[in-house]
Amino acid sequence: MDFYLGLIQIIGVHTLLGLSAYCVLLTGQVSLAQAGFFAIGAYVAGILTVLAQWPLIPALAVAAVVSGAVACAVGFPALRVKGLMLVVATVAFGEAVRLFFFNFTYQIQAGVLHLGPHGAEGFRQIRYFPQHGWSTLDVALFIWTVVALVMAGLWWLDHSRIGAVLRAVGEDELAAQSVGINITAVKVSAMTVGGFIAGIGGGIFAHYTTHIEHAQFGVVLATFAIAYPILGGLSNVFGTLLAAVFIQGFLIEGLRFMGDWRNLLFGGLIVLAMNVRPRGLLDAGTTRALRRLFAPRKERSGA
Amino acid sequence: MDLLDLIDAVQSVADGVLFGATYSLLGIGFTLIFGVMHKINLSYAAASIGAAYASLLVMSVVQAPAVLAFVAAAAAGGVIGGLVYLVGFRFIPLANPLATLMSTVGLLLLIDEIIVHATDGVPLSYPALFSDVIVQVGPFGLRGDLMFVFALGCVCMVLLLLLLYRTRLGLATRAVSQQPTASLLCGISTTRVNVLTFVITGVVGGIAGAMTGAAIGMLSPLLSLPLTVKGLIVTVIGGLGSIPGAIIAGLIVGGLENAFQFFRGVSERDLYIMLLLFAFLVFRPGGIFAKSSGRD
Repeated sequence: MDFYLGLIQIIGVHTLLGLSAYCVLLTGQVSLAQAGFFAIGAYVAGILTVLAQWPLIPALAVAAVVSGAVACAVGFPALRVKGLMLVVATVAFGEAVRLFFFNFTYQIQAGVLHLGPHGAEGFRQIRYFPQHGWSTLDVALFIWTVVALVMAGLWWLDHSRIGAVLRAVGEDELAAQSVGINITAVKVSAMTVGGFIAGIGGGIFAHYTTHIEHAQFGVVLATFAIAYPILGGLSNVFGTLLAAVFIQGFLIEGLRFMGDWRNLLFGGLIVLAMNVRPRGLLDAGTTRALRRLFAPRKERSGA
Repeated sequence: MDLLDLIDAVQSVADGVLFGATYSLLGIGFTLIFGVMHKINLSYAAASIGAAYASLLVMSVVQAPAVLAFVAAAAAGGVIGGLVYLVGFRFIPLANPLATLMSTVGLLLLIDEIIVHATDGVPLSYPALFSDVIVQVGPFGLRGDLMFVFALGCVCMVLLLLLLYRTRLGLATRAVSQQPTASLLCGISTTRVNVLTFVITGVVGGIAGAMTGAAIGMLSPLLSLPLTVKGLIVTVIGGLGSIPGAIIAGLIVGGLENAFQFFRGVSERDLYIMLLLFAFLVFRPGGIFAKSSGRD
């Protein structure tokens, strides 16, 4: 049972990561910096609960605000460029964050233990959940409450004027600009919201794994972050959720019985999915009625 | 810093510049594919490493001199390049840049996993040429294998430039990269140009993969992600679509990498490269040889 609860926790955290990339992708920007914001959230939240003995929720809030602030600060220079240049700029930022934590050591002595991040060894002993008697089920419920809140928030955002503005910038920047939308402000706001969500996700991630290290926040995690919304489809937030379940639940855990061959299938199935569903999994049939709410897309070849 | 340190520093920078030829070739590949298709092929560096592995496979079957490994890598690179186009680009609508981005990520993971699966994840040693030669220039020693890699890289770049600027195929490639619709109207088959671009960049990538293997002395699937990142960095610093830019940027990144490693240690090396790149993007987004009206 604990195995499935653990899987549910992983899917929840990865959904948060995917949703953070979803915000940015709505404005048509591909950001591979989400793993960096995730790392910042993880380290900040970990430091606050372990070293400063804060309760979890305020620590998560601060982690989210710090990640959001960093995202905002990075967004201004980074979003001056777009397309491939933005991909590279955000890869560079994400890697810089990872390498910063690779070299970051700040420890205090607590009894016989040294607590705090320690360079390449990572940050061990983030034991908030066991110390406060949270069971695996409690943690899973907590994570999914947060996921539900974030998804509800984004759903509301999507159906408000803000969502229309985000999508307008994503579909055609020039047209959006000519109707008086400040595209820089929109992109930076989307990036900030994305950083905020990634910060929450990272904070939770740090607490359920209890041990974080720089290698977990590399380019691979960043590509996973954008993989969820792209694979799931950008028409609404449930696509990201579906893709997180598909990748983490099916491709990673569900295919475990295949042993070695699982990893081979993983890449192959992503390629196949993009060939048959170029606009994402949650694109066909059942959501067609839903999709008419948005601007009708032209081509749906292969689907 | 005394004289001995200075000599060591210059020596390591020189080694880096020589190795930077690999980065230049990868940067050219990314730039060319972006030029004709306006798409990023993230699987490119992984395919290059894959081609180098394929050449090892060939070498294990036939007994041949080590030079043949480079030829085999180039051929394998061309084949893999064509396959990447077929699987990752051909059947995906071009109007959707995110889909091809994702499919190349899938291919990157797939190629990596095929390598891991075939080799059990154990790094394999790669034949180096002229590794016993060291040319003494004053107090500096230039390693023969690195010099060979550098020379090979330069030959590839010259051939590529000749191909692009002296042949009909090169003319067609440049036409498609400037105006796909207009070149289609002139009777150029864009699909054919796209396939050939992938094959040519694949050949270049295969050589780059073999060069990496020869310079480091071994091949590992762990190389593909750092090489992807470095290749993208070179593309951006050199300016998108600029081949001379990619060449110079590759050498600069190679040299700086070793300089940072010398002064700040290996764990902080890439941090400074990333910060440098970020600064570059902010202050000079068009690259070294920026034209006044860049597109992206």
